Amino acid sequence: MNKFTKFNLASLIIGFSFLYIPIILLVIFSFNESRLVTVWAGFSTKWYTELFNNQSIKDATIVTAQVAFISSTIATILGTIAGIVITRFGRFKGRTLFSGMIYAPMVIPEVIIGLSLLLTFVALAINRGILTVTLAHITFSMCYVAVVVQSRMSSYDDSITEAALDLGCTPLKTFLVITLPIIMPAVISGWLLSFTLSLDDLVIASFTSGPGATTLPMKIYSMVRLGVTPEINAVSTILVGLVALGVVSAALINKYQISKQI
Amino acid sequence: MNETTKTKVTPISNKKPFIQFQQVTKKFGDFTAINNITLDIYNNEFFSLLGPSGCGKTTLLRMLAGFEKPTTGKILLDGEDITYVPPHLRPINMMFQSYALFPHMTVEKNIAFGLKQDKLPVNKINQRVDEMLELVELTDFAKRKPNQLSGGQCQRVALARSLAKQPKLLLLDEPLGALDKRLREQTQFELMNIQEKLGITFIIVTHDQEEAMTVSSRIGVMDTGNVIQVASPNQIYEEPATKDVAEFIGNVNLFEGVYEGFNKTGTKLKCEHSDSFVYSSQQIDIELGAKIWLAVRPEKLEISKSLPSYKHNILKGKVVDIGYGGSFSTYHVQLKNGNMLSAVRANRERTFERSITWDDEVYLHWSTKSAIVLTG
Amino acid sequence: MTRNNTKLSERIFNGKNIVIAIPFIWLLILFLFPFLIVLKISFAEYIIAIPPFSSFFLWDDTFWPTIQASLYNYKFILEDSLYITAYLSSLKVAIISTMITLVIGYAIAYSIAKAPTRWRGILLMLVILPFWTSFLIRVYAWIGILKTEGLLNLFLLSTGIIDQPLTIMNTNLAVYIGIVYSYLPFMILPIYANIEKLDVSLIEAASDLGCRPFKAFWSITIPLSMPGILAGCFLVFIPAVGEFVIPDLLGGTETLMIGKVLWLEFFANRDWPLASAVAVILLALLILPIMYYQKMQEKTLT
Repeated sequence: MNKFTKFNLASLIIGFSFLYIPIILLVIFSFNESRLVTVWAGFSTKWYTELFNNQSIKDATIVTAQVAFISSTIATILGTIAGIVITRFGRFKGRTLFSGMIYAPMVIPEVIIGLSLLLTFVALAINRGILTVTLAHITFSMCYVAVVVQSRMSSYDDSITEAALDLGCTPLKTFLVITLPIIMPAVISGWLLSFTLSLDDLVIASFTSGPGATTLPMKIYSMVRLGVTPEINAVSTILVGLVALGVVSAALINKYQISKQI
Repeated sequence: MNETTKTKVTPISNKKPFIQFQQVTKKFGDFTAINNITLDIYNNEFFSLLGPSGCGKTTLLRMLAGFEKPTTGKILLDGEDITYVPPHLRPINMMFQSYALFPHMTVEKNIAFGLKQDKLPVNKINQRVDEMLELVELTDFAKRKPNQLSGGQCQRVALARSLAKQPKLLLLDEPLGALDKRLREQTQFELMNIQEKLGITFIIVTHDQEEAMTVSSRIGVMDTGNVIQVASPNQIYEEPATKDVAEFIGNVNLFEGVYEGFNKTGTKLKCEHSDSFVYSSQQIDIELGAKIWLAVRPEKLEISKSLPSYKHNILKGKVVDIGYGGSFSTYHVQLKNGNMLSAVRANRERTFERSITWDDEVYLHWSTKSAIVLTG
Repeated sequence: MTRNNTKLSERIFNGKNIVIAIPFIWLLILFLFPFLIVLKISFAEYIIAIPPFSSFFLWDDTFWPTIQASLYNYKFILEDSLYITAYLSSLKVAIISTMITLVIGYAIAYSIAKAPTRWRGILLMLVILPFWTSFLIRVYAWIGILKTEGLLNLFLLSTGIIDQPLTIMNTNLAVYIGIVYSYLPFMILPIYANIEKLDVSLIEAASDLGCRPFKAFWSITIPLSMPGILAGCFLVFIPAVGEFVIPDLLGGTETLMIGKVLWLEFFANRDWPLASAVAVILLALLILPIMYYQKMQEKTLT
């Protein structure tokens, strides 16, 4: 009754082609000799060399990396706390508001979030720059982390926590020594998710960033508006390569850990 | 609405109780899980909380462990009020139904965990862990992780871990549920031995009445948030306080009828099963005409094909079903008015021919001493 | 009857409350409070100043400040057909995109759920992998494909399927493709999670009672996977209404979406009050779906 039919196979093949062909084409044309992104003129790495000589892109990359690292780390801490509070802390005053604030950023359009944060920074007289972008990224990333952690915690056997308490371990120590190690894979994927979201964000960064703090997506966007050039393909290919490397290593580490247990 | 349910308690001694529940009530929103319970448990007992699912027995246990707080009432341990003491500060340990072993630690580290929290010196911890491993016969498994153990082995680790700190009180939440019958019986006796040897008070929560009867020194029978009866297994079985207790523990034949007084034969009951009265030797204090029940356990109902020569307590019926249980047979007898009784008889002869078989007309008889009277 | 004897101050500042407070206060300040600011500024007027809006409180000789608030921005928006068209067109684009994403996403999710168990992990990873790569980059990739001189037309022309290049770029169709492409993982994952947990024996029971496979799919599988379908639809629809990047890069002049309008009002016209009013109305439009989505999420927790 639940056989994997030809229709299923066709759906998967078509679906995955749809997902991957654009990326593959992007990578291929980053090595194009000519300036056109649609006519193949020969293999060349000249766009990559141009890329490495482009100071503004390099600056943007550094800004983006800094923002991504700092914001994902703090977002992971806040988001993990939030995820545990939502699943384990039962009813408390303001819980509805709290859970509303956790789930909302995932659905509210980015332009609204970006605009509201910018106006807030102006109202609080905080100068826009790396700090404000980082604060903005922490705010929406932590919600994604919270959802990931909450999902993990919902299948977490609470009697393990109770057993630790029962044996004399204080609540805080129980969290650090028992709960956290067990949910660590979820926390790490939360960190990776925040990192990607930060790396990728264009709209919110455009609103909340300031002079001297142009992020890579902002830079790429302004380049795209000026016209399509293979330099963008080159940047994209590098990013795609890094991400693929990251995901594959994560999967391999995961497999290694599982095999170590047996 | 806090009505005090009358709990029939058979007192065991004049000693001061080790654990006291004083008028404890627990509400979850509108739902009353524990209804004004007062209960005393003494030192060195193997006490069972027995009842159907949802009766509140686990809630009561968790309040003792500190994972739930009573809505009202007090809990005392050795005279001290522990009602609001958080679980990690109570000198009580618990063995969880799901075992709750720490998956990222070895068996050794699991057992040592509680001792580490007390900041004992390392050599003392190791010594104690070795003792515990020996007690549960898992010395060779010390370095394994929980996912490398069988169900029974996990259970023993959980037991060792909960005993490591030598608590005065050990709580066990349906610890044998996941084991197969043979292992369960074996473990029951192991638990009893350990309890006696270490002199610890055990409180076990179970829905399995056979288990409760086997291991306990006393049983507290619970239903919908109330403790109905607290007594030794023998007393619970032979002198159940209510119909519900009688029906919950083992099987029972109940005769519903009307109280007709007491004479030299015994308490007289007029019921619809027979044309004459039925009797119990037990005396009760109740007005005439009140509704009462007579309870007779199946093994005390004598079954025969010929009319027995007794004056009272004889009923006639037809055998409609026989259940073969290896060492005994259960005869389901249907009376004239349609009611079914069950009688149990040991298969004393090794024969394939039954002396009493299907569709036989039989007589059932019980002695007045075998029947008890229940008022509710 | 005994009561807890701890002091009120102890009860407020205990460990549990402090832990709750940390993310709570952060979100109050940087998520909730900003919405109030947007609301406040939507009542202001555009002035040529830095920042370019009139202040809410006017401090003069009286003790209490006068409040300068006007509904000018709202009147402007509601009276100008451009904005109303933009809102409606955004809703329309979002709904159509969601429907397309649903059909494609459900097919993929269903197929993964029925695939042999050892493949499922890899397949899911392949679904999520594009999501990890930059959103901007993937939208950019489609430009190269959908342009008049782009790869799609090149392919179709060279194989003779068409003889005139298709104009897809800068039309609504390009926007649909872009939205479906970018939001597909958001549709696939909740549906997959739902289908995977479905009890296979329900389908078996249906066929045992004489139900044909296709009918079983419609009357059993689809209704039971409804929570996943709804979650996926909301995860796509709500952000799609306010989407900016895709209409900006792939859409044309006929594509009027409210996210783009907001961006232009803010960055091009520097009219912060008007942009705020646009945001407030957009949020008001979406508040019902958002609240419904929240309720669905809360239900999964209990």
